[in-house]
Amino acid sequence: MTELIMQSLYSGLLQGGSYALIALGLALVFGAMKVINLAHGELVLLAAYIGYTVESKLGVNPLLAIPVAVVLVTLASAGIYLLVGRIKTNREINSLTLTYGVGVIITNLALLIWSADVRATSSSWMQEAFVVGPLYSMRSEVLFFGVSVVLIAGLWWWLSRSWYGRAVRAVSSNRDAAKLMGINPGFTELVSFIVAGIMAAFAGVALFSYGVITPAFGGVLTVKAFIITVLAGIGSIPGVLIGAVLLGIAEALTVTLASSALQELAGMGLFLLVLFVMPNGLFGAARRRG
Amino acid sequence: MKQYKWLIPALLAVYVAVPLVFGSDNYVMSLVIASLVIGGIALSWALLGNLGGMVSFGHSAFFGVGAYASAVLTMQHGVPVFLAILLAGVAAIVSAILMLPVLRLRGPYFALAILAYAHIFRILATEWTSVTGGSAGIANIPRLPAIGGFDFGSKTGNYLVILTIVLVFAAIYDMIRRSPHGLALRAMHDSDDATRVVGVNNTLLKGLMLLVSSFMCGVVGAFNVHYINFLEPDYAFSTLWVTIPIVAAIFGGYRTITGPLVGAVVVYLVDQLVVKSIIPTGHQLVLGLVLVAMIIASPDGLLALMRKFMRKKDAAA
Amino acid sequence: MLQLENVTVRFGGLTAVNNVSLQVGSGDVVGLVGANGAGKTTLFNAISGLARAGGRIVFDGRDVLRSPMYQRARMGIGRTFQIPQPMHELTVRQNLTVAQRFGTGTTDARRIDEILEFTNLTAKAGRDAATGLALSELKALEVAKALATNPKLLLLDEVLAGLETNGKRHFMNMLKQMHEAFKVGILIIEHDIETISNLCQRVAVLNFGQLIAEGTPAEVFSNPEVVKSYTGAEHA
Repeated sequence: MTELIMQSLYSGLLQGGSYALIALGLALVFGAMKVINLAHGELVLLAAYIGYTVESKLGVNPLLAIPVAVVLVTLASAGIYLLVGRIKTNREINSLTLTYGVGVIITNLALLIWSADVRATSSSWMQEAFVVGPLYSMRSEVLFFGVSVVLIAGLWWWLSRSWYGRAVRAVSSNRDAAKLMGINPGFTELVSFIVAGIMAAFAGVALFSYGVITPAFGGVLTVKAFIITVLAGIGSIPGVLIGAVLLGIAEALTVTLASSALQELAGMGLFLLVLFVMPNGLFGAARRRG
Repeated sequence: MKQYKWLIPALLAVYVAVPLVFGSDNYVMSLVIASLVIGGIALSWALLGNLGGMVSFGHSAFFGVGAYASAVLTMQHGVPVFLAILLAGVAAIVSAILMLPVLRLRGPYFALAILAYAHIFRILATEWTSVTGGSAGIANIPRLPAIGGFDFGSKTGNYLVILTIVLVFAAIYDMIRRSPHGLALRAMHDSDDATRVVGVNNTLLKGLMLLVSSFMCGVVGAFNVHYINFLEPDYAFSTLWVTIPIVAAIFGGYRTITGPLVGAVVVYLVDQLVVKSIIPTGHQLVLGLVLVAMIIASPDGLLALMRKFMRKKDAAA
Repeated sequence: MLQLENVTVRFGGLTAVNNVSLQVGSGDVVGLVGANGAGKTTLFNAISGLARAGGRIVFDGRDVLRSPMYQRARMGIGRTFQIPQPMHELTVRQNLTVAQRFGTGTTDARRIDEILEFTNLTAKAGRDAATGLALSELKALEVAKALATNPKLLLLDEVLAGLETNGKRHFMNMLKQMHEAFKVGILIIEHDIETISNLCQRVAVLNFGQLIAEGTPAEVFSNPEVVKSYTGAEHA
């Protein structure tokens, strides 16, 4: 029994890496622009299908799809930024509906191009077992976990040290003051969309490499990313990491201890738990009205 | 009272003329009934948005809960169909009560939370096989019964019932909108403190709107189930019930009461008659495109856009 | 009617209101003065429920510290905002309708007409409240809304600021009449010493969140401590 639990914890941890990438992208855009990109999960989906196309059409390892995915998904992300920028009034609400529409477009494009069939990688290199002591995983899971760690560390460094990174933080806390300091908020927002796109691209190829994909799962990913940000509380990167790992572990445990069909329910259950018990998330600052 | 002069002829037209003219054409009647179902959902969505100030991406939750509640009540507990439909609305209210804690989340977070709830209900419906029949679904759900010699289960009968449901809901929406409660609700979006400081319990009123919206959507879902006589989780909680009403409401103008209804008819008919013949799968793509275009060009709907266009022409002339 | 005992309001590390104790009886007109940032509006926020406070706030014999804002409004605490906050999307009359319906639980169209008359807003009753009014009318609307809730206590936050002399005089007359006609207790924040002396039986002075003086206008304004705290705070 303990081995099963250990295995679940391990698998969940590995999965958490990709989840963290996705959730961070969502949080980054929200922080910079106060906009929730409901199509974020679909960007990941796009990357996943690019991984599939590269693998099936060119017969190569999906890793090689990453550059293609990064370029295309980042372009799509920037496109969404441009669309959101065209909204004239009520940006907070209208951006929701707009990005929701974009999500529908992408999901249905995927349906049209790749059909509803379930896809998974056929690369044996990716699927090969990678054993650490008693813990088993696919090579792809460990590989992409490592990639996530590197990317997240890079993101953290970028946010705290680079000029752009600090600009993003400035714009998110006070837009007008940032303008006065010579920061162009529009450009900063674009940058945040681009960075989110890059992370989504990696996450998409990752998910293709060790999981299964269908057009519908874009929407599911957005919900999961959102659940993670709720778990984490507002404005906390470590919170997102822990939330992502928690979600991954909760799902893995549910699959092991209950049934794989209830996997989705794990995340939803966590979400409700947090809403009722800890509405500020695990690390969020208290923001109740007086 | 002047504005109501058109009401009698309009009612006559929809209640009498339509069945008389199209009653024998099953295809046309199906289209009309389906667009009224969408219209009903769109109306409930717009009510929540306008009065409640909440944008919901999860109305499929209420639709599905209503559908399953009515199906189960009629098939496993022998409840008469019309009563079951009403009770299904109540079931939807219960599901909305579960969502009340989410009310305190701000706009985007609320929208997503509702979406998460919709997913939860869909999974529950798929897994709770003993009650819901799981992913295989439930078949042979009873049609609307015959009462007093008139078969409500016929195409015309179904049409009259959904028409009445939608009109009653529109009337309720209007009543609320004109009442002091409606005034307070409209004001509180931009003037949260100004309403509280004069004694308005903002949270309570908004919560009530969620319950009203869920009831309406649940009833429509229940009606639909007795119309198509079949139900499965992916249909009941399909994102189609989220997307089409949103597109319909925004296209037709979600700030008005007739807007969502007109939008539903137009969007649905165009989708079924034009788009589906061109791209059978993924035809929702067009819906997404319309939605994006509408938000950028005219978030208040097509009519508002036309009016702006007219004004520009007048100014230029 | 209103008893404040050791009321304190803190925002993070900043103490905006520090241990203030004050009483306002029904029929009293009490002035609240102090330099900008002294904590006057914050004190109002605490009384009406917009800000969380420590201490005791007793209104009409009941401790309202835990009561939400809307409940305090229904109990009879009416309040105007320094920067007028009309209810958006509604007309002037609709503003009053909502205030009356939720503040008193009843609808009385005649009383609304009376209040409109009294605040000189009858001509503008059908205008959009947020966009169709001048500043003095917006301020009048603030008072009208508060009156529509049938308050026992009125918290007036700088209703005269920004008005020119004629407007000020008119408002002062209105306030005097209001006090007599509607029998409300009034707690009024103002900067103008003359206005305060004219209207109030008692004055309380806040400085850096603390109550530094209380008494009749004459007593308070000749108090050297008060004069010192005021220097630099006078505006035209």
